[in-house]
Parts: sequence; structure tokens; C-alpha cells
Amino acid sequence: MPRSSQRALIGAGIALLFFLLLFPATRVHAAAPGQAIRAARVQREGLVRLRFAQPLERADAANFRFTEVAAPDVPIPVREVRVEAGNVVTLVVGQPLDPEGSYRIELAEPPLARAVRPPRWALLFSAVLSAALINNFVFTRYLGLCIFFGVTKKRDTALGMGATFTFVMITTGMFSWMMYQFVMKPLQLKFLQILVFIGVVAFLVQLLDTVLKKTHRALHEKFGIYLVLITTNCIILAVPLLNAAADAGPLESLALAMGSGLGFALALFLMSCARERMELARVPASFEGLPIAFALAGLFALAFMGFSGLSFFR
Amino acid sequence: MSAREETLRITASMTVVCALGAAVLGGVYVGTERYARAAQSRGERNAIVELLGLDSTARVTEVRQFLAEDRGEVVYEARPFGAEGAPARRLVFALDGRLVAQEGAGGAVLPAGAARPLGRLFLASRDGLPLGFVVEGTARGYKNRIRFLVGIGRDFSIAGVRVVEHEEDPGLGAEVATRVFGGQFIGRDAANIAALAVTRDPMPEDWRSALAQLTRVPAESWRARQAGLIARERARPIYAVTGATISSRALTEGLKSTVDHFRRRWALLEPWLGAGS
Amino acid sequence: MSAALQDPGPPPARQLILNGIFTENPVFRLALSLCPAVAVTTTVMNGIILGVAVLLVQVLSSATVAIARSFIHPRVRIPVYTIIIAVWVSAIDMSLAAFVPTLYAQVGLYVKLIVAFAIIISRLEVFASRYPLVPSLWDALGMGLGFLFALVVIGAMRELLGNGSLFGVALAPGKPLLFFALPAGGFFSIALLMALFNWMERRAAEAAGARARAAGGSHA
Repeated sequence: MPRSSQRALIGAGIALLFFLLLFPATRVHAAAPGQAIRAARVQREGLVRLRFAQPLERADAANFRFTEVAAPDVPIPVREVRVEAGNVVTLVVGQPLDPEGSYRIELAEPPLARAVRPPRWALLFSAVLSAALINNFVFTRYLGLCIFFGVTKKRDTALGMGATFTFVMITTGMFSWMMYQFVMKPLQLKFLQILVFIGVVAFLVQLLDTVLKKTHRALHEKFGIYLVLITTNCIILAVPLLNAAADAGPLESLALAMGSGLGFALALFLMSCARERMELARVPASFEGLPIAFALAGLFALAFMGFSGLSFFR
Repeated sequence: MSAREETLRITASMTVVCALGAAVLGGVYVGTERYARAAQSRGERNAIVELLGLDSTARVTEVRQFLAEDRGEVVYEARPFGAEGAPARRLVFALDGRLVAQEGAGGAVLPAGAARPLGRLFLASRDGLPLGFVVEGTARGYKNRIRFLVGIGRDFSIAGVRVVEHEEDPGLGAEVATRVFGGQFIGRDAANIAALAVTRDPMPEDWRSALAQLTRVPAESWRARQAGLIARERARPIYAVTGATISSRALTEGLKSTVDHFRRRWALLEPWLGAGS
Repeated sequence: MSAALQDPGPPPARQLILNGIFTENPVFRLALSLCPAVAVTTTVMNGIILGVAVLLVQVLSSATVAIARSFIHPRVRIPVYTIIIAVWVSAIDMSLAAFVPTLYAQVGLYVKLIVAFAIIISRLEVFASRYPLVPSLWDALGMGLGFLFALVVIGAMRELLGNGSLFGVALAPGKPLLFFALPAGGFFSIALLMALFNWMERRAAEAAGARARAAGGSHA
């Protein structure tokens, strides 16, 4: 009984964390009494669609100020305002807009303002998708190849490894991000990043191993062997290094860690399925073993190229 | 040796190793940082000189743009290029373009964290007359951000394009960083740029071989030599890199908005910075 | 006699170097540290930069371990090796960024990831922690050169086939086989080169076997 309640507690904690991260997105931004902008989104072909709570009194172009968050001092000119049914107002601007971008709409009368950007969960999802498929660590960044070719002979091992890696990548990724943002950056110790990230990974993996051994013996028996292999693996280390290089925020870091982990697990799974079948194939003697596995990975990489340019918003 | 004593010894030796390592790295950092900074500013200077075809008599001013979000103000800091930490001339505008404050050289340094950096631009001048500008811009490429510098002439026509950083596929999207692709923008004026489109049609062979010369010839003399071809291509859209239409379009759109933003910002800045800082 | 058997002394320098380049080539034979071998080898120059960085890290770490081996507590030797490697990698990373910024920009992340190379730590564990400075240096030099050699070969193959050039100098018009410059082409290049190494080894083994048989036959 205490075991299950413990798990429920952990689950609730994780759910709470996610809620806290997503909360700002669900908040209503501007709230003048009565009138408010209920929804706002941009369309690629240069349209801004706004839904108001009440019919809008002034619907001339001069009433609106539409800007990019990265360039708040040069408003994007509004060419035309179309009032539609259901309190929907469409602004026509003279240039294509990026549905993934961050914009801001301001009204002079009544004084309203609102950020126009995709909801946070959508951005998170898109970033996870991008890290897992478009920039897949194995097939486009070529990281973690030693492990990739080492453990993909059997499907079970591949799955266990993938799950362990994803979990460790998220934990170490977030912990390293905190170290980087709150310790190394303020203290100007960025040049120690390799040393610190290695320390963080080694420490957390060791901690995980000990905790798992004490609390969940069955899990430890299943995943413990993979944990040993993880310390100072390049794919684990790449996540904090990439996050540090991009100076990423908490959500972006989480998305990169999660997406990379899932992408790696996917790569391991696909490869192990293919290699299990390969055992039945007749391979030229010189290509047996690693060379044919590399060729196979090449085919997967070719297939994954089809994902680039994929966007959740297009 | 008792177990406790051994643990102590291990802890002590690990501490010593870590401290030694950190000390070595600190030393290397202090030793190399100066060179890293010098190399970066040398690279930028070369790009600026090349993009605008400057000689040694030109003065380059670096202008950094910041946004003070809480006050709704945009701050410009101008200082001679490469003079890090030199007193800057500062202009503060409200978001609607009204000048709020102006400080001559000697103003205090902007407090860190109070303002978010928006970008940089470089202004080249000689004897108090502007020669041209180089503006930093970004575009959302096929895989990741593309960072570029664009040289802009006094008449807001493009003098040259240099891609500084990108992660596009080698052989495909990465081709947008070549002179052959970037050269297509040279000489286009503001109106032309604002209406610029990208086509998938193949690039005419004579235009391609003319653009290929850009790797050997400075842009200035190339423009004079290929004036006929340039005039013919002016009326046509940008030819996308084969197999990389999205990257080509991304860079083109990024250039369009960078040039447009700069043109409108310069209208504000010109009375104050027009003569160089 | 028995002492000599227990400690045969370090192998000669020439053998150590050749060992690293051919018989135990880290990329083609040991299949270790493959990530950068595919990632940065779209051009020869990238291969050289990363290869030189690995060579330097290997030599400096081996030297450090060989000198300090009597002070390193055996129970914490792996963490200590990791720290030593991390320090040298950071130092070389910063130096490359400062002195060859344009070349470094293309291989930056992979230089930092040298720290996770299995090949370096395995040489420290297998060789540098057991032998004195000089043979450890030769061993490190051999392994580093082997790595450099592999990266240059892959880089040359991919740049020549994918881009029609070498060291950025165009040798063929256009792009003969663009595929080899793409990510997938990197995997295929290594597959082909590994198969080539296997094939050469099998040929050599067969030839040796045939010679042995022929020699045995003449005796009979």
C-alpha cells in the first residue's frame, strides 16, 4: 500500500509541475470590464484574426497597432480591417506572418493589449517533435552511435535502453539547465561547463541508481545495467551543451531533453526491429556485422530527411 | 588503513583534482578570452569592410539596440567599432518613435538586466557622411535559425549578404550561404526588395557564371562589369537553390523584413547619428 | 624469468604507432567514437580540425595520467580520468575558439563532446595507467593519428564525391554525388570503408593461409 501511494504522490507532483509550466498560457491576458480580446491568432498569408467579447465600436485601421515581439518599435502596417459575424475582426497586413512567431496586438480604443502567439503547449509539442524527428540525435546529428549500434541487436534491450535514456536525459537536462542559469551564468563560470555537466550527469545517475536499488528493486534489476552505461555518454551530455549554447529557457530545455530522449528511443526501436530481421538475410561476408548496420542506419537517415520542414503549424 | 581514513583520503584527493582542474581551466580562459574576442571583432570588421567595399579611411560605428520593456522604451547605444567599454552615445525613443532622452558620450553604462538586446547595426561614414550600413538579422530556416549580415547602401539598396551562422543541410539548404545565392540580392533597391518573390525556375546559365565570379572579384567592380546582366535580373525574382526552396524563401523573407525594419528605424536615427557618432 | 613474463615491458614505439593507425584503428577496427566520424566529415578540413583536437586531448591526457599514475587512488581512477579529460577538452575547445574561430564554428559541439569519447578513456585505463610517460606518449600518438587518419579518409571521400572538391578547391564540375554530403551519405561512407577494411583483412588472411598451406604441402 505505501508503495502505491508513493507512486501516486510522484505522479501528482509531476502533474503539478506541468500545470505550473503551462499555467501562464491559459491565463486571459487583458481584461477591460466588458470588452476583451478572447482569442487571437495569425495566419501565414498575412491575416490576424481577433475574437472579441462584444461588438467592436471602432474598426478602422488606425485603432490597431500590430507588432512583432522582436521589433516592438516598428509596427506592421494594418492595410484593412474586416468585421465579421460573431465579433470576429480580421486585420489584413501587408506581409506574410509566421504562425510560430510571437506578436502583439494593441488597441487604442478601448485600451486593450494581448500577446498573439501559439499556446504554450503547442510550442512545447512542436519543439519536442522537432527534436525527436527533424533533428533526431542519431540520424541527423549522429550522436550516441556507440550505444545505438551496441544495443540494437534485440528489441527488448533497445526498448529498455530507450526508456532509461529518456528519463535520464530529462532529469539531467533540467538539473544542468538550473546549474547553468542560476550558478554558472551569474558567476561567469561558463568556461567550466563541460566539467560541471559531466559532474551533474555522474552525480544524478549515481543517485538514481542508489535510489532505485533501495526503493524499486524490480525496476533496478531491469534498468540498472543500462544506467551504468549512461554516465558520460555523448548523447546525454549533448542536451545541456546545446541548451547552454542556445541560452534556452526552461520550457525549451525541457522540450529539447524530452524530444531528444523520445527521438533516441524511437531510433533504437526502429533499428532493433530492422536488425532482428536482418539476421535472416544473407549479407556479403565483408559487410557482415557493423558495415551493414551502418548502411541500414543510412537508409533510416534518408527516411528521416523527409521529416525536415515538418511543422505543427503549417 | 581504516575504511574511514581511506574515505577521507579519497575525498581529499578528489577535491585536490577538481581544484587543480578548475585552476588550469581558469588560467586557459583568462589566457584565451582576449584572443577570442579579438578574433570575433576582426571577423565582423572584415565582413563589414567587404560588404560595403570600404577602405581604411572609413569610420565604423557600432549601434546596439535594446528594449526596456517595462518603460516601453527603445535604447540605442552608439560607440566606435571595437571600442568595447568606451563611453557610448545613447538615444532613447518611446515605442511610437518620440525621442525621450539623449545623452552624449560619457553616459553611464546601461544597467544589465534592465533591457533586452534587440540587435545590432553598423554604420560606416567618412568625413561625417554616411557610406552605408550593415545590419544583423535572423530568419527561421529549414532546421534552425539562420543568422546573417546584410550590407545596405546609402539609398537602402542591398550591397551584399553574408550568412554568419546556419544549420542547413550541406549540399542543399547550406547553399544559401554561398555568394552565388547571396549575390542575387546585390543592387536591389527598397521597392524591389519589398516586392521580392522566390521562384523555383532554374537560374539562367549566364547569370550563374556571372554570380560565380563574386568569389574572386570584389562586389564593387563586379557590379560595374556585370551591369547589363544585373539590370536584366533586377526585374526577375530570386532563383531558389535547387532542392532547398524553403531555406531560400526563409532567407529572402528575413532579408526583406530586416531591410524594411532598418529603413524605418534609420528614419528616426538619422537626425542624431547621420554624421557618424 | 618469471618477472620477465609478468612484465614484458612496453612494446616498441613503431609498433604502437602502427597499431593505432591500422590494426587497432579506433574508427574502422574498434568501432569506437563513431559520432564525430560521421558528423563533421563533410569536408576534409573539418575532419582534420576534429582529428587534431582528439590527438591533442589523447596525448595530453595520457601524459597527465602516466605522470600522475602513482598518486591516483585506484578506487576513484575512472572519475579522475574523466576530470582530466574534461579539463584538457575544455582547454583545447577554448584555444580553438580563440585562434581558429571560422574553422571551429563548424565543429564546435563535437569538440566539446570529445569528453565522452570511449577511445580516450579506454587508452588511459589500458595503457597510460600501466606504463611510464614515453611509451604512453607513443601509444596516445598512435591512437590519435589513427583517428585523424580515419576522419581524413572519410572526409576526403565525402567531399570529393558529394561536393566535387578537396580542401574547398573544386576538382569536378557541379556535385557528382550529392548524396554523400548528406547525413545519410555519412553512414554509407563508413559502411563502405569498414567493408573495405574487412575485405582487405580477409584477403590478407586468405593469402597467409594459402602460403601456410603451400609451405606445409612442400614439407609433406
